[in-house]
Amino acid sequence: MILPVPQSAYSQAVKVKGGTLVFLSGVGPVDEKGTLQAPGDYRGQVNATWENMRRIMAKAGGTVDDIVTMTVYTTERRWGEIFTDMRKEIFKTGYPSSAFMEARKLKTPGAFLEIQAIAVLKD
Amino acid sequence: MKIDKLLLPLLILNFAGVSFAQELKKEFIDPQPQESRSTAVKVKGGTMLFLAGHTASQPRPDVDLGNFEAQFKATFDKIKITLTKAGGTFDDIVSMGVFLTDLRYIPEFSKLAKDIFKKNYPAITFVEVSHLARPQSLMEIQPIAVIP
Repeated sequence: MILPVPQSAYSQAVKVKGGTLVFLSGVGPVDEKGTLQAPGDYRGQVNATWENMRRIMAKAGGTVDDIVTMTVYTTERRWGEIFTDMRKEIFKTGYPSSAFMEARKLKTPGAFLEIQAIAVLKD
Repeated sequence: MKIDKLLLPLLILNFAGVSFAQELKKEFIDPQPQESRSTAVKVKGGTMLFLAGHTASQPRPDVDLGNFEAQFKATFDKIKITLTKAGGTFDDIVSMGVFLTDLRYIPEFSKLAKDIFKKNYPAITFVEVSHLARPQSLMEIQPIAVIP
């Protein structure tokens, strides 16, 4: 983790050597059938998204702490601080690099956010 | 005779447990064929190739007129040129950021993508953006590939 920015829970860069890469599709606040969770509730959607991320990372043989970089697409940029505040609780061993940007729409109608992440699992 | 000469040092290195060309291992997690994508793609080894955002652009002005299928094909033609130059193919793509000016094109995108990926579907993130670099562009695709 290079130049961590703890107040926003990300790092300016993450340097990695070796390991197994995991490229994730966009993860949003949906259940396994793709149904939107917590409609209209930003915090609820952030929680549902991380819950999903945990499930997918477990399936890949890792945890969310293996995430090295993420791009956060949001339809509600004004709530960015809520997102970064909540992110402090997610990572226990250091923060990934991250970009945060506004998208006009996301795949699931009504979803406020979707996260595209890359993880590296230890060998 | 020639083959023997080549194989011998390889065998010696193998027995010595020296890894000189790491084998590529790929695992597609929760593939969703109807959407032509996987929830995640796990990769060990290989050479990574990070591609720029590709669009149907100048050399094909005829495709810039609101025809999604034509733009899709022109975009993937360009991706193919880039991949070939780097020694890769469509099969090596593990992840794509797909930026569309209208997400209602997703079903058409997924249908067309079946011909590109056959069954090894990459991880995909779809995002709707208000504008791309050129006013006529309907899509921009940012792939990551891992070449054996």
